[in-house]
Amino acid sequence: MGVAEEPRTGVSAGSRTAEWWRPVLEQIKGIGPATWLSYAVLILAVLWALFPGLFTAYDAITGTPGQQLRAPSLAHFFGTDALGRDVFSRVVHGSVHSLSGAFVATAVGLVVGTALGLLSGSVGGVVDEIVMRIVDVLLSIPGLLFALSIIILLGFGTLNASIAVGAAAIAAFARLMRSEVIRVRSSDYVEAAIGSGGKLSSVLWRHVLPNSLTSVVAFSALQFGSAILQLSTLSFLGYGAPPPTPEWGLLVAEGRNYVATAWWLTAAPGLVVVIVVLAANQVSKSIRGRA
Amino acid sequence: MLSKLSRRQLLKSMCAIGALVATGVTAVPSWAQDKPTAGGTLVYLEKQAHTSLYPPGAGFYPNAGVLNQITDKLTYQNPQTLEIEPWIAESWDVNADATEYTFRLREGVTFSDGTPLDAKAVAANYDVYGLGNITLKQTVSEAINNYARSEVIDAKTVKFYFKAPSPGFLQATATPTSGLVAVSTLGLSADELGRAPNIIGSGPFVVASEKLGTEIQLTARKDYAWGPAKVKQQGRANLDGITVLTVPEDGVRIGALLSGQGDFIRQVHAYDEAQVKTAGYTVYGAQTRGTTHAVAFRPGNPLVADLKVRQALLHATNSTEIITTLFSENYPKARSPLSSVSAGFVDLSSELGFDPEAAKKLLDEAGWKPGADGIRQKDGARLSLGAYESLNYARSKETLQLLAQQWQKVGVELKLLAGEAGTRTKDDLDPLKTPLVPTKVERADPDVLKSQYYPTTRDQLRQKGGKGVATEFVDKTLNDILDKVASEPNTAKRLEYTGDAQKRLIEQAYVIPLFEEPQSFAGAPDVKDVVFEAVGRPVFYSAWLDR
Repeated sequence: MGVAEEPRTGVSAGSRTAEWWRPVLEQIKGIGPATWLSYAVLILAVLWALFPGLFTAYDAITGTPGQQLRAPSLAHFFGTDALGRDVFSRVVHGSVHSLSGAFVATAVGLVVGTALGLLSGSVGGVVDEIVMRIVDVLLSIPGLLFALSIIILLGFGTLNASIAVGAAAIAAFARLMRSEVIRVRSSDYVEAAIGSGGKLSSVLWRHVLPNSLTSVVAFSALQFGSAILQLSTLSFLGYGAPPPTPEWGLLVAEGRNYVATAWWLTAAPGLVVVIVVLAANQVSKSIRGRA
Repeated sequence: MLSKLSRRQLLKSMCAIGALVATGVTAVPSWAQDKPTAGGTLVYLEKQAHTSLYPPGAGFYPNAGVLNQITDKLTYQNPQTLEIEPWIAESWDVNADATEYTFRLREGVTFSDGTPLDAKAVAANYDVYGLGNITLKQTVSEAINNYARSEVIDAKTVKFYFKAPSPGFLQATATPTSGLVAVSTLGLSADELGRAPNIIGSGPFVVASEKLGTEIQLTARKDYAWGPAKVKQQGRANLDGITVLTVPEDGVRIGALLSGQGDFIRQVHAYDEAQVKTAGYTVYGAQTRGTTHAVAFRPGNPLVADLKVRQALLHATNSTEIITTLFSENYPKARSPLSSVSAGFVDLSSELGFDPEAAKKLLDEAGWKPGADGIRQKDGARLSLGAYESLNYARSKETLQLLAQQWQKVGVELKLLAGEAGTRTKDDLDPLKTPLVPTKVERADPDVLKSQYYPTTRDQLRQKGGKGVATEFVDKTLNDILDKVASEPNTAKRLEYTGDAQKRLIEQAYVIPLFEEPQSFAGAPDVKDVVFEAVGRPVFYSAWLDR
């Protein structure tokens, strides 16, 4: 807890010391192999999203008739689907949809949830009561069901699915942020800042927000993983982008009809989702552990 | 302890093994096929749950799958010869211009609630099917044209009058959409008819119970004695009962069949056929006479209003590639909007050639020039079309995606649309939202073309005066031909008009025929004598289990 208790400011860290990399190195030393691997997985997924052409030469959308339903081989790592498309290529090209979707979802939850939590925790009183009762209601609705309701209102599609997943996470972010804010708000340095004539808004911005964020950041890494999973669930159910978009959940859904003859069509993208989500969870755990 | 039955089974299987050893592995004991065994419950796995079981709604496969077992029809259409044979009607007369039909009924037929199936009941059925009942949301049967009224001559004679010639009516009395139900059932609304136990029919099976959306139990009627006069099976059904289970997942259905949890399943995709056959099971590709699996345009949408655009897309379509990639030899290439085993079929394959160069030329002529992204543009509009997959047809989603690949090569975008059921239904009525639609309907009579394309029936082209919204499109020439198909009493002339209708549909490139879609079923090796009526719906009356 020692690190968190030390007041930090929103001022950039670069001006503090020339040897800024030393603590970073210390931190890196403490990272275990599982976390290394998790980072590697996430970086690979991001690279897939940014430069899919480096990893596969096949077209993700247009198939080659006559090449359909081939088993996994060196030419096609994950085999080919019913239209003769390389499934590995579809997974690689699909990562941009799944990752950016999860990013948007996490951003929506993080920004709106943090703002609500900050407001609620710092203002207190009636505002706190109202916000928290709304959060109670939101938390009582199962996340997937809530996301589904939103998507029915907004319409189908990747962006709408991300917004829906993000909205479903707002309540959790708000609750977490509020508890952190209340903890930090009662610490001496915040009292001192207010006592020495600081405006509430600037105290919130300079002292409360940066010192409350560690848990929230850890939680957003966790949320990123579960957003991938929820987005995949939504696109599996057909609420995401329509085919032939290679969204991961959609790949699993499309493959499941072939389970009896070509199990890899559903297993391979499914495994990729599992591995990426586990990696995000591991990273979140490591951030929280060090905080 | 061995029960009497299982001892018999044991003895039989020992005999069977003995026979196999004696005659070689490939031989099947001859007595096994000849003498149906009575008893047993068949487990039938359906892909979709039924909707309303109002008999004219039996065009939907799962509805017919239930209705065919629990209702009888006035006549029986022999699936091989397509001739109309006696069933509940022993004989009939038709006047020269096909405006009056008289049926003489079999005696002693009762519904499962004990009420008699007499002339009065038949008249009541056809009055509803022919005229509909708006308050009960019962629609007019798409199989019946120009119906005016019925007349009960005596207890076993009923006569129907038509406003105009209705040459398709005799065949209409044999379709799955014309199942006869008790008068009390006709008094229920289309919604109430969604519950299977509410349907009182006179068929060889009776609904014993239902778990809505998942399971229906049918039991055989012991006193059933009025099957179609000319079929081999007579008296009660061989089976004691049928369990109809809804199993939407393709993989689960196949798995259940191969592991013995199901005896008979509907819809086996081409990619699973080999696996099912290798395991010694039978794949049935029952032909569904009627229109071929096609995509139909809604010319009310300005993007496809131009004949040249539609023709271009017709020639940009490579149906052979679709069949070889996604289907099997059970899916013959379409040569007309009508399937090749239908009466009145005209081979139009010379008009349906795959020719991407011609397609590009036609699009150029129509003023659509390739844009920066490869998709053609004209006056700022992109030639981008949207379509929903059809949940009713085999591999509709993959078919549309392959079609999109083919059209992409001539600079036309085809996007698959996504939406929940409500949006889908609404969009389907609006040509601006759905410029094209995958389409197909079955019936072994030329009337099927009218069912599919006439504005007041299924209206697949979304003509003005039909169900479509905001559409000004109407093709009077086509509608006139369809009217003639439905009301020409002279058979030769009627088939000629049927040919004209097919030619018109292709000349105007309203539809792009792709393939003749069968209804694919698979059955365990010990399921015998399942019959498919003329449009490929299963009939389990004569089925039996060789175990």
